[in-house]
Amino acid sequence: MKNGSMAIALSIMMMVMTTGCNSNDNGSGTANTMTTTYKDMIVGETATDIKAELKILTNRTDLIDTDFSEYIDEFTSMYPNVTIKYEGITNYENDVTTRLTTGDWGDICCIPATVSLTDLGNYFESFGDYSYFENVYELSDSKMYDNKVYGLPTMGNASGIVYNKSVFEEAGIEELPTTPDEFLNALQKIDDNTDAIPMYTNYAAGWTLTAWDSYITGSTGDANYKRNTLIHKSNPFSRQDDLTGPYAVYYTLYEAVARGLTEEDPTTTNWEGCKSQINAGNIGCMVLGSWSIPQMKEAGEHDDNIAYMPFPIEVNGKQYASAIADYCYGVNINSSADNKTAAMLYIKYLTESSGYALTQGGIPIVKGDEYPDFLQSFQDVTLVSDNPALKGEERYFDDINNMSEISFDSDPTHVARIIEAAIDGTKTFDEIMDEWNVAWTKAQENVGVTVN
Amino acid sequence: MSAKRNVKDVKLIRRIWANMNVQKTIITITFLFVPLLLLILFTYLPFFKMVEFSFYDMGYIGTRKWVGLDNYIEVFTREDCLNSLKLSGYYLLGSIVQIAIALLFATILSFKPKGSSFFRAALYFPSLICGIAVGFIFKYFYTHGFVFDSIIQLFGVPLDSIPFWLRDTKINNWVLVASSIWRYMGQSMVLFIGAIVSVDKTQYDAAAIDGANAWHRFRYIILPSIRTIVVLNMILSVSGALAVFEIPYVITNGGFGTSTYFVLMDKLAHLNQKVGLASAMAVILLVLILIVSAVQKIAEKRMVNSYSIVSSKKRRRNK
Repeated sequence: MKNGSMAIALSIMMMVMTTGCNSNDNGSGTANTMTTTYKDMIVGETATDIKAELKILTNRTDLIDTDFSEYIDEFTSMYPNVTIKYEGITNYENDVTTRLTTGDWGDICCIPATVSLTDLGNYFESFGDYSYFENVYELSDSKMYDNKVYGLPTMGNASGIVYNKSVFEEAGIEELPTTPDEFLNALQKIDDNTDAIPMYTNYAAGWTLTAWDSYITGSTGDANYKRNTLIHKSNPFSRQDDLTGPYAVYYTLYEAVARGLTEEDPTTTNWEGCKSQINAGNIGCMVLGSWSIPQMKEAGEHDDNIAYMPFPIEVNGKQYASAIADYCYGVNINSSADNKTAAMLYIKYLTESSGYALTQGGIPIVKGDEYPDFLQSFQDVTLVSDNPALKGEERYFDDINNMSEISFDSDPTHVARIIEAAIDGTKTFDEIMDEWNVAWTKAQENVGVTVN
Repeated sequence: MSAKRNVKDVKLIRRIWANMNVQKTIITITFLFVPLLLLILFTYLPFFKMVEFSFYDMGYIGTRKWVGLDNYIEVFTREDCLNSLKLSGYYLLGSIVQIAIALLFATILSFKPKGSSFFRAALYFPSLICGIAVGFIFKYFYTHGFVFDSIIQLFGVPLDSIPFWLRDTKINNWVLVASSIWRYMGQSMVLFIGAIVSVDKTQYDAAAIDGANAWHRFRYIILPSIRTIVVLNMILSVSGALAVFEIPYVITNGGFGTSTYFVLMDKLAHLNQKVGLASAMAVILLVLILIVSAVQKIAEKRMVNSYSIVSSKKRRRNK
């Protein structure tokens, strides 16, 4: 008797729970289809009486109370019935990846790198066909699948090296280095002639190390390299005779650490602290995307000393820099039609008229907009942005990337291991690259791509 | 006819309701409902889901593929998994030190020396701080030229000859173990104090008459009386040593050869999107902990049996 009623109670509980779990299926029914497309929207004119409460997930916890709240004010003056709330997330990639699976996470988020291109359509509303965006926006193809755009960036980043001009002058570096060895010599000069740390790795923060991965495209000067060549290339991490390609990028890091041209103890580097350190001239340079420039300038009084240079690799005598879309905004496919419309209007506002790209020192997204000042030192540099993968091969890069556990752009561990090996001397750089080649080859076999 | 039946039914229900056992069952169910719901929702359901995941090749997002036992096979053939389990050895040795120190302090403090409540609170305090905060405290503590190094420098050691505590692979795991001991020692100590206080005080007087010193008192009265708690603490320490996470994750993020099993699991699941593999690692860890606890339980029983046999033999001989 007792056991019987217990069993009934338990089964009721189980039923309650399983129904609870099933209710958040991705319901992409007809109820939340939008009536206006992004292309036809005019901010301030389209649907000004729309009512919506938007929740936005962002990684920029530092901007919520400053720039973002100004944008909200300006936007809601045009759309009085729309309220916008930002939620800042520090551990962005991990947390958002988990939350996306629930379907009920908000209306706009910065699409994490963990979502494969092929899965975009399950989570995000399409902004429209690429054929439209191609002509009006830069870098709009980074979250594209099957010719549909699922995410739009509000700015782009150039990948180079942020450095302190006065430290370089004091060290006697007259011309900016253009090859890895010239760069290492320049660091040596800083070490010899100044008290500054020549290069700061930001090892401890972790995510800062993935910056190194964005130099792969620039190191080859080939827009097809990352998403088309790399997946089919056999042993892509081997040394090239002219010292270009991924090998050259990470070689620069390994050698700088091995020659003692970085901070003494990488385990205790401090991300917030490095900003004022480079500003004050205690750090020579750091390998970070162009988004970091405004932060380094604001961290002290010497904002004139902060400058940006291309990564020191030359391909046939020419320098290239990768131009990469910043986090792209995506709109939740499960939101109501009104929320989706309001969300897209807000994204359009952010991209086209907020001035975000200019204040953050990024490459503008709208074609023909003004470029930021720092890119002046990039006059002779060609900006390359990755071409999307061929049709039918969109998954390959993500799959091989994760299966090999190198996980470019999301997992800093592979870069961290280079720094550790350079300090301990446990492995030579070529040994590490051989390991990468083995892991990459094995992943290529498992995924089943042709290798040539 | 039907009215009569209704009356009969109502009476029957009343009679059932009046039954003590029925009431007991209903009340038990009502009271148990919330805790059981929470337990199932947040412990068992995720656990069974995790076991399910361990048989798939899957990420958080995207399609799943059934791979059977492949993930389990991979865990045992991966060099980094086995290496990370070896790191548990450091923490295991650390936990023995931890139990020893905790026993020492507990014994001293349970005899109420001056300021014992202050020391008890002070020693227990670290267990109250959140693990992440402890990590940050020790990160700065061990930074080259910071707190720890300054203290050492006071004794005249030049900074150049002080090693990099977190960078040097010969010592960094010991350094992390030390932080772990600092954090968890208080917890073990409080458990021991609770047990020691419940020891019958008259035994000490009897022992004193027989001429027992402090060590004898500890060895022959306290230790046998609190054996269960010692074993419990050992089980907790072993499972803790296998599942070390916060300290290496926050202080070194698994760098320079400090990546424990949990840190590796977190990396594989979250950074490489290998959720299936990480789930298999978690299941294997659970099985390992269950085995270790079972072995300890058996060992404890053996110990108790042999002890009682020995003492009964002694008693017989004395007669």
